[in-house]
Amino acid sequence: MRLLAALATLLFAAGFASGALAHAALISVEPASGSTLATAPKVVELRFNEPVTPGAIRLIDGAGRARDETRVTASGETISIAMPSDLPEGTAVVSYRVVSQDGHPVVGSLMFSIGMPSETKLPASTDHWLGALIWLARVGLYVGLFVGVGGVWFARWISWSLAGMTVPRVALAVGLSSAVVSLGALGLDLLGLPPAALAAFAPWKVAVATSAGRASLVAAAAMLFALLALRSTWSSRALAIIAMVGVGLSLAMSGHAATTPPQVIMRLAILLHGLCVALWIGALAPLAALLSKPTPAALAVVKRFSGVAMPAVGVLALTGLALAIVQLEKASALVETRYGLILSVKLALVLMLLALAALNRFRLTPVLARRGAQIILKRSILLECMISLAIFAVVAGWRFTPPPRTIVPETPLAIHIHSDKAMFQVLVSPGKAGKDDFVLQLMTGEGVPLAAKEVILTLSLPERGIEPMERGASLGPDGYWHVRKVELPFAGRWRVRIEALVSDFEKISLSDELEVPPP
Amino acid sequence: MRSCLILIAALAASPVAAHVSLETKQATIGASYKAVFTVPHGCAGSPTVKIRVQIPEGVIAVKPMPKAGWTIDLVEGKYAGEYDYHGNKLSSGVKEVAWSGGRLPDKYYDEFIMHTVLTDRLKPNTTLYFPVVQECETGVSRWIEIPAEGAGHSHEGKSPAPGVKLLPKP
Repeated sequence: MRLLAALATLLFAAGFASGALAHAALISVEPASGSTLATAPKVVELRFNEPVTPGAIRLIDGAGRARDETRVTASGETISIAMPSDLPEGTAVVSYRVVSQDGHPVVGSLMFSIGMPSETKLPASTDHWLGALIWLARVGLYVGLFVGVGGVWFARWISWSLAGMTVPRVALAVGLSSAVVSLGALGLDLLGLPPAALAAFAPWKVAVATSAGRASLVAAAAMLFALLALRSTWSSRALAIIAMVGVGLSLAMSGHAATTPPQVIMRLAILLHGLCVALWIGALAPLAALLSKPTPAALAVVKRFSGVAMPAVGVLALTGLALAIVQLEKASALVETRYGLILSVKLALVLMLLALAALNRFRLTPVLARRGAQIILKRSILLECMISLAIFAVVAGWRFTPPPRTIVPETPLAIHIHSDKAMFQVLVSPGKAGKDDFVLQLMTGEGVPLAAKEVILTLSLPERGIEPMERGASLGPDGYWHVRKVELPFAGRWRVRIEALVSDFEKISLSDELEVPPP
Repeated sequence: MRSCLILIAALAASPVAAHVSLETKQATIGASYKAVFTVPHGCAGSPTVKIRVQIPEGVIAVKPMPKAGWTIDLVEGKYAGEYDYHGNKLSSGVKEVAWSGGRLPDKYYDEFIMHTVLTDRLKPNTTLYFPVVQECETGVSRWIEIPAEGAGHSHEGKSPAPGVKLLPKP
């Protein structure tokens, strides 16, 4: 019993401990990726839109050698990578793998050249076999949670018997092993290690530190509770309830949707969604088993299940709809993004499932007493099981696609002009030839916002004989200076000059070059 | 020979009456300097109604020459340093001179004159700039661009501040 209490505490503590925000995205890099520097930088800084945990950071120097003497320090959303002092000339590549707050790894690479660029190959990202393994483990986890835990709950609360528990037992075994596999695979993915490294402690430790890892642990705990509930004791019904709550919690703890504000409501929606899935899908296998040996008792069980399933499906649809609206933001994302496509396929499968459920409920259940009807109902339920499995397989694909909400719009062109007196940050969006919007952030040399009376942006393209074009900037309510709809007729190396009038007699002007790509 | 070269350079560099500039292109530090600001035109055709000159640090004892039809305003303030002037310690004085109230049409030329002393705290062989704001009936021209140190002569500036080459004390 003490063990149970401890497990329950773990379940709840882990469920509420993870304070997450959103999917991390890289905002800026210093020195800028693709830049050519006169001397080797001492530090490379990556700035994200939210605090991140560094996973694996690799440096390949201009001579093509992997260097492991980098020192990585993280503070909040910034990761600083101290460079070795003897970086040779050529193009160096820094590839990073960090863990964002929702437990997903964010990977990328940046390059800078010292002296002159050299040819370098980018290191590969997540291996295909690892991706497949993560997906498979996820499907297994869903099977364990919904078919396994849901089946046990059905046995304890609906059918009041342990008949037809073979499938849920197998599902629990699959789910438990999947939880272990998904934890290990997550660790390997985060650290970018080969499978042999699973013998070591590091990948497990990293995985458990993420919200996705903790969610796997909670899922495993829920499945253990379900196994305990299969033993007939006085507490088995309570154990089934705890296991069900664990299903909802493990789903609500991690993933894209759980980290969307308003978090409390989103997590509650996921929890309810997961509970109802387990309620519905978990009942299918035992029901099918029950119907293969028709007894008068089976009839009563089906009727009881129908009473529970109706409201469950309603809650399922409502929470699903709410979550989809928040994640997609607009309907066109259903077909335009991979996340949306997965959702579309899922919705199609769910509609089939609902049609079958409606058939069972309104056509087959009322005439169950008739001969032959039970066989048809059983077949229909088996079909439902297969569709459910397909849904799990599709939904597990979400692990690899960020929802449209978190997709960062195309990065605008950015240049940073620096002198002793001032630092100007220039953002050009969309950053291509054509019409562009300029945002100018003016700061003093110490990084304090610079008050200006007037700011003028001058652009020229000497290589195409385009003489300086002058545009006055206007101060926006955001404290930045804006120049909208600037015509950049050609791609090429534009000269940018910014003049800020700081007093009647003092003007700070800085200029730099801006490589504008073709549209 | 050297000063001759400087003179040639100064003459070659001086744009022909296009900018507000100083008539005397070089001066010796530790001596008085009569700064004559030449105003060759208005702001894009509009008549000039006000000329404001900022006095750079190290320039003291500023006395503008009155000008018929124009009112003079002086802005006084603290110097960054303290300067010795005829045995007195000067720590404040004129920082800005403004002529206003007149009207100089675009097609006419005029000069605005002040007497100054260039203290020996100024660095020889550099250019001393007097930023000027020319206010017109419509528009403003700011002759305030000062090339960055070591940047050499830049053609980029469209409205350079009037400058005077400082020669070392003989």
